[in-house]
Amino acid sequence: MSVNAAVLAAIAPLMAFFVTLILTRKRPWLSAGISVGAVSISTVCAVFLLFRHWEMTEPVLYTSTWMVSGAISIPLGIMLDPLSLLMLVIVGGICLLVQIYSIGYMEGDPGFSRYFTFMSLFAWAMITMTISPTMLQLYVFWELVGLSSYLLIGFWYEKFSAGQAGKKAFVMTRLGDVAFLIGILLVLVHAGNLNIVEINSLGPSETMSPLIITLAVLLIFGGIIGKSAQFPLLTWLPDAMEGPTPVSALLHSATMVAAGVFLFARLFPFFSLTPTAMALCLAIGTVSMLLASTMAMVSRDIKQVWAYSTISQLGYMIMGLAAGGYVAGVFHLTTHAVFKALLFLCSGVFIHALHTNDMFDIAKSSGRRMKIPVICLIIAGAALAGLPPFSGFFSKELILAKLAALDNPIWLIFALAGVFLTAYYTFRLIFIILFPKPGPSDADSTSIAADEAERHDVKPHPIRQTMATPLIILAAITLVLGFFEDPVERFLSATVTESLSASGMHHGWPAFMALGLSVAGVLLALIEFGLPKSRQIGFAERMPFVYNLFSKRWYIDHVYRYFIDYVIDRGVAKICARNDKKVIDKSIDTFCDGIVESSRFLSFLHAGMIQYRLIVVFATLFFLSLYLLLG
Amino acid sequence: MINWALFNTEIYFLITAAGFLVLSLLPKADAHRDYQTALALSAIGVGVALAGITQQGDIFAQAYRIDMFSQVFKVLLSMGLFLIICICSELKSIPERLHPEFYFLLVIATLAMMILVSSVHLLTIYISLELSSYCLYILVYLRTEHKRSLSATIRYFIIGATASAVMLFGLAILYSFVGSAYLIDIVNTLPAIIDRPIVIIGIFFTLAGFFFKLAVFPFHFWVPEAYHGASNQVAAYIATASKVAAIAILIRVIALSGGHSEYLAKVLICLSIISMTVGNLSAIVQKDLKKLLAYSSIAHAGYALIGILSMNHAGYSGAVFYALALLILKFTCFFVVIKAATEGQNPTMAHLAGLHQRSPILALALLVALFGLAGIPPTVGFTGKLLVFSAAIQQGYFFLVLIAMINVVISLYYYILVLKAAYLTEPDRPLSELPTPMSVKILAAAMITAIVAAGFFPVYLIRIAEAATAVFI
Repeated sequence: MSVNAAVLAAIAPLMAFFVTLILTRKRPWLSAGISVGAVSISTVCAVFLLFRHWEMTEPVLYTSTWMVSGAISIPLGIMLDPLSLLMLVIVGGICLLVQIYSIGYMEGDPGFSRYFTFMSLFAWAMITMTISPTMLQLYVFWELVGLSSYLLIGFWYEKFSAGQAGKKAFVMTRLGDVAFLIGILLVLVHAGNLNIVEINSLGPSETMSPLIITLAVLLIFGGIIGKSAQFPLLTWLPDAMEGPTPVSALLHSATMVAAGVFLFARLFPFFSLTPTAMALCLAIGTVSMLLASTMAMVSRDIKQVWAYSTISQLGYMIMGLAAGGYVAGVFHLTTHAVFKALLFLCSGVFIHALHTNDMFDIAKSSGRRMKIPVICLIIAGAALAGLPPFSGFFSKELILAKLAALDNPIWLIFALAGVFLTAYYTFRLIFIILFPKPGPSDADSTSIAADEAERHDVKPHPIRQTMATPLIILAAITLVLGFFEDPVERFLSATVTESLSASGMHHGWPAFMALGLSVAGVLLALIEFGLPKSRQIGFAERMPFVYNLFSKRWYIDHVYRYFIDYVIDRGVAKICARNDKKVIDKSIDTFCDGIVESSRFLSFLHAGMIQYRLIVVFATLFFLSLYLLLG
Repeated sequence: MINWALFNTEIYFLITAAGFLVLSLLPKADAHRDYQTALALSAIGVGVALAGITQQGDIFAQAYRIDMFSQVFKVLLSMGLFLIICICSELKSIPERLHPEFYFLLVIATLAMMILVSSVHLLTIYISLELSSYCLYILVYLRTEHKRSLSATIRYFIIGATASAVMLFGLAILYSFVGSAYLIDIVNTLPAIIDRPIVIIGIFFTLAGFFFKLAVFPFHFWVPEAYHGASNQVAAYIATASKVAAIAILIRVIALSGGHSEYLAKVLICLSIISMTVGNLSAIVQKDLKKLLAYSSIAHAGYALIGILSMNHAGYSGAVFYALALLILKFTCFFVVIKAATEGQNPTMAHLAGLHQRSPILALALLVALFGLAGIPPTVGFTGKLLVFSAAIQQGYFFLVLIAMINVVISLYYYILVLKAAYLTEPDRPLSELPTPMSVKILAAAMITAIVAAGFFPVYLIRIAEAATAVFI
């Protein structure tokens, strides 16, 4: 029963993908209906499974053989444990809401049908990835997630920058995936199989040396860095805003980037075997969190602010997990999925109606009169900033408690700084939209917005029902989700050994400090952007050096550009190209020319007089007979 | 007392031939009537051959054996005849009044090959071989208005006569040592005297006649010109049915040595390598498609020889399978190029330009057939090559297989050149769609299906090939 439901959940979007791909391309509404219907089935199955297994103590496992090659058999199957069940519900739910929202958002787009085809592919890949019982299956669908996000980011492919952004996302995540694959192979070679349950048991510590485990964990973490846009592979995520806004909502909340954190949680016991690697993960999470927060402080593009905030929140999750807070990390993943989707969908409403991504332009066009999105934006923003009683407060507080329990206080200090910055940049945006001023000029309104605007009719739309409903649902969840902390914690820790899941002290002093810092951040934002006399210029923007540093993304892209131009393009690639041209091509050309020349010669010989041919016949017979006689 | 029932397939084809002889005596020429008659009779012929597939026995004083091997090949030959007649609906290159004679000679040639595959006596072998050859000489000449057909025929005849002379010499040597012309006696006597070089030379010279039929180096010189000078249908017949018969009789004769002669194997390896290399290399620069296919069939003779010279069961059955694959693939190629050259002229690369638009199904058939000839899975050609090559590997001829693989790569080049002409080259001037009646479409679809299906499920055909060659082990 459970297995059937899980299979159904996974298969339905796949079917929708094929049907919309092949049969209903010319009928956009039918495609949308099929796609939404399929993901609804998945969601219903997911919720059903969650309730059915709410009291589970043992994971449900089902595998069948996909193919056998010699001694290696490659299984394909399903694993249902608390983590995958929770993730399944999140993925299904968010996919469903985003698709419903997209019906309104994408209406009239020439690629409407194609959009839902890709969405179904995305849903299928993500759902199947969450219930994978083996690392190989997980990897396959992990890559499919990458592929479908590439397709969606570059959805408006006729726009050059969209194509570029899609490519960038794909290549950068692939970079991490190479490491991931090598890590998987390392585990396969040393542990002998890729079954997640067995990797997570204490088995590997017996068959693998600590060094190999650390290496494998770090390589697998490379995949997480790529997928979850952590330092140093974080720059693809802001560019991925080129896709339609609902796609961003999906990418940033429950799917693409969350896949990285999900993988961390999936292999959490395995990762825990090596404290060295965990420390490095912690550092990378922290760096990403802080860098992204600073970038968000100066951006004018509403979607980019949320993109940076995604990176920083993912950094939080990784910090939480790396500090040993399994429940903390996963719970923050859950709450973040909901409120981040909400933030993007609200922004989508503004962008859709006002045809601009620039927050100052939105403010000037009286974005605040749109009641539902503004209220939802504030709720989600408060959750992001970590204000009670919104869900973000509870999950962040869990992570902070875990960090406080560490020996080194530096991580906690960084995390608290992050809390302050998060509250600041979130409410900077909210106050700018709420309190429009004639202030700073709108000289550099982004071209993205203009392009996106061109695709829709020019006059502002009233908010559609299909777009409003998902907002309200998500806002409601954001409001109440925080109070489910204890049940979720119990549910998640059911199958993980106790020592790993103990979530530390509750509501201790870090919580109050975090609350204080959040409020401080909000107040600072209020002073700089909210008050009637404020000039709406942030403290970071007043210092040109800091402003440049933040807005140029700490020059990370410049470093990459330089590296690619000078080391790869003019160095390695040039040598390879020369080798290709001068050595490989030339030798092959010479060889082939030789063959063609010999061909001419041979066919010339065949055109000779009959006497010569008979001479050849008899000569051949003579020499072969000679050989036979003498041999 | 001769059991004539065993001879019924041959009798049927003899009667068919007689029918065409009568038709040729009628005063009024009617191409359509001849074509319909030939089609119907040859279709029935396939049925007759199939019906007799399980027959067994010896007739004509043990000089003629009916067994699984001969009956399988008779089915293949009758299928070959039927397929060739299928593409004779527009026989423009042969004068209309000669059509009944054309069919008469085709049927007689097929009959001669059927007798050949059943022959177990040196004289029957020789006579049936000559009978089929003489039919083919005349068939090549039947394209009377083409300026090259006479010279091609004469060269064909001279080389054929030379090969026959050598073969007769070989037969004489063999007979002088064994003292009997029955293959069964030779098989029993030969192992004892196989170490004597002169006996090996006898066998080798005997093979010359079959090498001539199969177009193995050095008896291949007639092939390009004969294909070029003959009408397209005759070239197709020589490339398909006649090759099948040659492979069959080669297996029968080489199996005589019982696989005990290392020297013979080495000589055959030598000929096989030269054949495929010469064939493939010469094919590269050909612009005339019939010449290209001619050279490619020299190369395929080399591949088929690999299976035969392995002299094990896998090799023999592989060669039988390869014969079947060649029959289907070569026929499909000829079928397409003949349809592309609508006026019955010699098809060239230029005739194929834009074929994928003029007739998608023919272009697809050409693609599948050429990939099959190149040995790309999942086609019957791949399985055929796999079988003969793995048989050679079993015998330890790694080097031979390596050279063969290199040759396969070279051959891929010119096959793809043909495909390029069909798919990528645009015609100089817009050409109208090729007239493809339903019958042509059905035939093309059937050939595509056969090639691919036999590639995916070769196991039944392999079993038949193994059953057919079981008599030699």
